Amino acid sequence: MKKIMLIALISFGFLSLMLHACSSRKAEPHKGEEFQAKDEHVANGEKMFMEHCQKCHPGGEAGLGPAINSNPAPQFVKRFQMRHGLGTMPSFTEKEISEDNLKNISDYLKALKSY
Amino acid sequence: MRKSKGGGQIDNLRQRYINTADILLLPGYNIEAVAQGLTFPSSVTFDEKGNLYVVETGYAYGEVWLEPKLIRLDKAGQSVIAKGKKNGPWTSVRFHDGNFFVSEGGAMEGGKILRISPEGRITALVEGLPSIGDHHTNNLVIKDNYIYFGQGTATNAAVVGPDNKEFGWLTRRKDFHDIPCGDVVLTGENFESEDVLTEIVGDKALTGAFSSFGTKTSPGQVIKGAVPCTGAILRIPVDGGKVEAYAWGLRNPFGIAISPAGKIYATENAYDDRGTRPVWGAGDVLWEIKENMWYGWPDFSEGKPIKFDEEFKVPTETKVKPLLQKHPNDPPEPAAILGVHSSSCGFDFSRSPAFGFEGEAFIAQFGDMAPKVGKVLAPVGFKVVRVDVNTGVIRDFAVNKGKRNGPASQLETGGLERPISVVTDTDGSALYVVDFGILKMTDKGPEPQVNTGVIWKITRK
Repeated sequence: MKKIMLIALISFGFLSLMLHACSSRKAEPHKGEEFQAKDEHVANGEKMFMEHCQKCHPGGEAGLGPAINSNPAPQFVKRFQMRHGLGTMPSFTEKEISEDNLKNISDYLKALKSY
Repeated sequence: MRKSKGGGQIDNLRQRYINTADILLLPGYNIEAVAQGLTFPSSVTFDEKGNLYVVETGYAYGEVWLEPKLIRLDKAGQSVIAKGKKNGPWTSVRFHDGNFFVSEGGAMEGGKILRISPEGRITALVEGLPSIGDHHTNNLVIKDNYIYFGQGTATNAAVVGPDNKEFGWLTRRKDFHDIPCGDVVLTGENFESEDVLTEIVGDKALTGAFSSFGTKTSPGQVIKGAVPCTGAILRIPVDGGKVEAYAWGLRNPFGIAISPAGKIYATENAYDDRGTRPVWGAGDVLWEIKENMWYGWPDFSEGKPIKFDEEFKVPTETKVKPLLQKHPNDPPEPAAILGVHSSSCGFDFSRSPAFGFEGEAFIAQFGDMAPKVGKVLAPVGFKVVRVDVNTGVIRDFAVNKGKRNGPASQLETGGLERPISVVTDTDGSALYVVDFGILKMTDKGPEPQVNTGVIWKITRK
């Protein structure tokens, strides 16, 4: 009985953690604090996100496109999608978003997810 | 294909109620409702004594015609200062030098800029502005003895089509179309649609750019510019006089404000996925407005060309064809790119350390009008965002609580519905948010709900 309860407790904790991690709403009022870019890569990534991504995924939430914040795909998959497009999402060439800027967008999305 | 899930797509509409606990702000800020039960409020202003005034539009999409009103709000209640005629929407009000200045949208007989005395005497400083199309005479500001105001376009993308009949105006004014501020040379692209002005089923019409419905254009054809024009920032002397084009090539420049550094900024409501020349994925834009600059409409979006571009192609359509052979100039870089269909409308700058975020623009996002403007996967807008105009970084400032974004009516809470303008008070210590109220979107079109407008006040604790 104790074993079942322990499994249930761990499962509940894991599920809560997943649900919390998967919430797409990362805006400042939801987090209860201002987002601060911890370094220049994140700061540049945020600017690049605003230039290329924000309009379809406002604050990483769903809009014209789906939510990014709650998308569990690894960052390299997301970068591949930005480069090659998928469905209605357009592709972005290196001329439009350089490799460094693309990585900075990943840095920003990771920072936004965990702040 | 997933269905659209816009914020106005509400199944069960309940009576609006207010609960400030349903609104989230950054810690240290407080929100209260200072007025409610208003019908389509659009803008507020303060007189020299700090008294608060609001304008009700008197018109809303869905062809709802009421009396536009200038109303004083105080502890005793509401007192009507002036009423307009069936020519709304009154989109903006500013108090300046002892009088009120109001933008009359002019959906029925053309736009006007009105001066209204404190006793309610109305004088038109200019009338006959080209406002009887999709978009109207918009917000105004006063700077250096000029009134600057936005003038929206007649159409989505410079071509009159069946979507304009749905708005209601094409049946009233079959000859109306967009007017460029300066001469433009056309590519001669024409767009086929059902001929919605005849009774005969199956009749087709071909329509070119900057032309009335059913009028074809040819390559190299010159459309002469004229002022007043559509899709522009126009200005008149504060005492009235000749209309001048200050900047053009803006689809629907709804909001306008002066930054603490004295620069003019405007919000542009960008293209929709509708009509015979639909455009996909066009983000609303915050622009710094410079004299004589062309901002790209109808061949650019966010400063980028839309012609034959994958980014702006509607998934089920061919790529967007250009309309102009030559462009007046290369459009500038936007100050910020906001959500597609967010309807980023009226805004103001923080000017006071007492409120915080000095120099940042606070923008009211009315929210999407999907599915009529195109499909969205989730509600867009329905909140107030703040923008650092130096970096283009946008952060949410006032949003509804909940697992997802949306208007209070859809979330079934007592929070924000459709913020349409933001105004700082005289000393800059408070931010007033004008909430238009509920606008439901149905297959037949918009259904705005009377007596659901609210004025919110945000202060720092």
